[in-house]
Amino acid sequence: MIRFIIRRLIGTIPTLFVVSLLIYSILQLAPGGPEQRFEQNPKITPAAIAAFKHRWGLDQPIPVQYCRWVGICNPDGEGLGVFISNSRLPNFLPGFLGGGDNGVLHGDLGYSSNTGSSVASLIGQRVLPTAILAGIALIVWVSLALLTGILAAVKPYGKLDTVITIFNYVGFSFPTFWLGLMLIVLFAANLRVLPAGGMWDARTVPIFGSPEYWKFFGGHPVNALVDLGRHLILPVITLVFVSVAGDSRFVRAAMIDSLHQDFVRTARAKGLAERKVVFRHAFRNALLPVLTNVALELPFLFGGAIATETIFSWPGMGLAYIQAVRTFDYPVLMGILIITALVVVLANLLADILYAVVDPRISYG
Amino acid sequence: MTATEAARERRTGVGDVLLDVRDLRTHFEVMDGTVKAVDGVSFSLRQGGRLALVGESGCGKSVTALSIMRLIEVPPGKFAGGEILFEGRNLLKLNDREIRKVRGGEIAMIFQEPMTSLNPVMTVGDQISEAVLLHQPVNRKGAQEVALQSLVDVGVPDPKRRLKQYPFELSGGMRQRIMIAMALSCNPKLIIADEPTTALDVTIQRQILELIKNVQERTGTALLLITHDLGVVAETVDEVAVMYAGRVVETGTVEEVLLSPRHPYTRGLLESIPSQGKKGQRLSAIKGVVPNPFRMPKGCKFEPRCPYAWQAGADEEPPLFDLGPDRMSRCWLYDPRYADHLAEYEGRAPKKSAEVAS
Ligand SMILES: Nc1ncnc2c1ncn2[C@@H]1O[C@H](COP(=O)(O)OP(=O)(O)O)[C@@H](O)[C@H]1O
Ligand SMILES: [Mg+2]
Repeated sequence: MIRFIIRRLIGTIPTLFVVSLLIYSILQLAPGGPEQRFEQNPKITPAAIAAFKHRWGLDQPIPVQYCRWVGICNPDGEGLGVFISNSRLPNFLPGFLGGGDNGVLHGDLGYSSNTGSSVASLIGQRVLPTAILAGIALIVWVSLALLTGILAAVKPYGKLDTVITIFNYVGFSFPTFWLGLMLIVLFAANLRVLPAGGMWDARTVPIFGSPEYWKFFGGHPVNALVDLGRHLILPVITLVFVSVAGDSRFVRAAMIDSLHQDFVRTARAKGLAERKVVFRHAFRNALLPVLTNVALELPFLFGGAIATETIFSWPGMGLAYIQAVRTFDYPVLMGILIITALVVVLANLLADILYAVVDPRISYG
Repeated sequence: MTATEAARERRTGVGDVLLDVRDLRTHFEVMDGTVKAVDGVSFSLRQGGRLALVGESGCGKSVTALSIMRLIEVPPGKFAGGEILFEGRNLLKLNDREIRKVRGGEIAMIFQEPMTSLNPVMTVGDQISEAVLLHQPVNRKGAQEVALQSLVDVGVPDPKRRLKQYPFELSGGMRQRIMIAMALSCNPKLIIADEPTTALDVTIQRQILELIKNVQERTGTALLLITHDLGVVAETVDEVAVMYAGRVVETGTVEEVLLSPRHPYTRGLLESIPSQGKKGQRLSAIKGVVPNPFRMPKGCKFEPRCPYAWQAGADEEPPLFDLGPDRMSRCWLYDPRYADHLAEYEGRAPKKSAEVAS
């Protein structure tokens, strides 16, 4: 098992390399660049723009830019010397062996071309809010999907199944942004019972993630949690409502499939009560495809439920991503995308491992 | 005790009636109409008795067995008529709790597909002891011991290790042994084996059949063996019920049915079995095909394929004529009005059919 995991982890390296090449190329294909945001500004001269582009290396050939981002090329080098580090050794080597210190290879995701702050620390700040929102939404929606999917599957085309199916189709067809805006209109603007957005009440609570925040959290944990919970309600409802349908249908299909297997008939022939037949026998087998499905959904949550975070100004990865797109912030975009790709790969690995845990037929020697 | 019952008892040497299926009708409502999968099945089985339900594939054998276990999904299934008396209780009238006590505890079933009939993500031990816990007053540990003993009883080598194994680690024959062990584990009064060897290798088939016969003899439980293979009937059971198109068309002891079939369908089946004595002879298959469930002939369901039929198109279906103790035939030949046809039928009896029974 350990060897399998190590083998798979090594296998992720070429995958991530190809993915990074692809997303880099796609970003380059899009018109504009980080300098775009100065174009409408009459105070900034073409010379200043050229200086900005030079400072950020945007005047270099695109392959060189990519290699600098990866860490194969030294941003201080000229001509063929770009491959050589300041210690006159190949730049891709680890820093302690005389390589460079720039690029993903050396753990450097670069700096935001918009704000100049480090991409790694920006992502670091955004991970926790996204994890909180996505984690809670995931738990709620997977539980709901399991419950409704199983109930629907036990009597397919029965009354309950019909009701659940209608709900699912409604949820499925609701655009996230519309649902989010309607919830804001109703609960924030009209009823004034919940905040319209953000993650904390700036009037009473310090900035989330700051040392002051944690001090406040330590002092008034109930207040802090209530405040966080109030801000979570609407985005969680939005995420759950639009996501539960797909998984509910998936669970239903897997359960119907499982309930028609021969071993379920054997379980009934033993004299087992129907509830135990459903959970102990059918569900445990339906769990396999459901687990895979959920594991593969994780990365979308990590990448931030972009629409939901944007509507509710939730300071997570999705919001950061949208802001980076608007400002042509290539380093931030690349950082978020490559880390999302890494999460996709890890989620696949997780799915494989869970499979082996649940299904004795699968073993990774 | 009536004279007929006394005669029967002498013949089979077993006790009171255990299972009495009377004119069972199990239908399925499907998109295109009603499939009358079982539409007139009658037979009875005594305590410790052995009866085979025989017939071509699709004639309703499995539906009959699943009806006895009440494992027919309702809907689309529907018990449209008849009764299934088990120790005098009509199983069709039991509520969910009561039927669950019967399932596994009093009637156990072995299925046709050993490869898929066991739960792939549960160990063999857990699957057997799950049944034991339901029907016997033991705790978890006790149940595992019962499970172990039942594996020993069915001759599974290395039974301790098997308890911890998963079905995928076992061969088809081994899985069927596990199914038999599971069926035995609660000391049922009746074991229903639905084509238990059909899915197995020929070499394994014989072993499994022997095993079923042995455990039946040892435990004295009654056996309802379902098969489409008349060849296995003679060596395994005492009585036979032949099914055609959802009906029982003939019943009797093995000798009676195999040596002097009283229904043209049974005779046709016997003539289509290859055997030593018929080497070099042409095997005669029954001509035609089984009727489409949506376009059943009105009268006798076998009439379109029957070489002895004389009243084509008659609308009335023949009843099960009583020909003696537990000897019945659903053929107009046994209507006293048609005695001359019966004489002709008996005159054409192929001499070779006797060989099958030997
Ligand atoms: N759930 C069902 N729905 C509709 N038709 C069914 C169902 N189960 C069985 N049947 C039909 O009942 C008939 C008898 O089937 P079965 O008892 O399995 O035959 P066999 O004698 O081979 O065991 C078949 O024509 C089959 O199509
Ligand atoms: Mg069958």
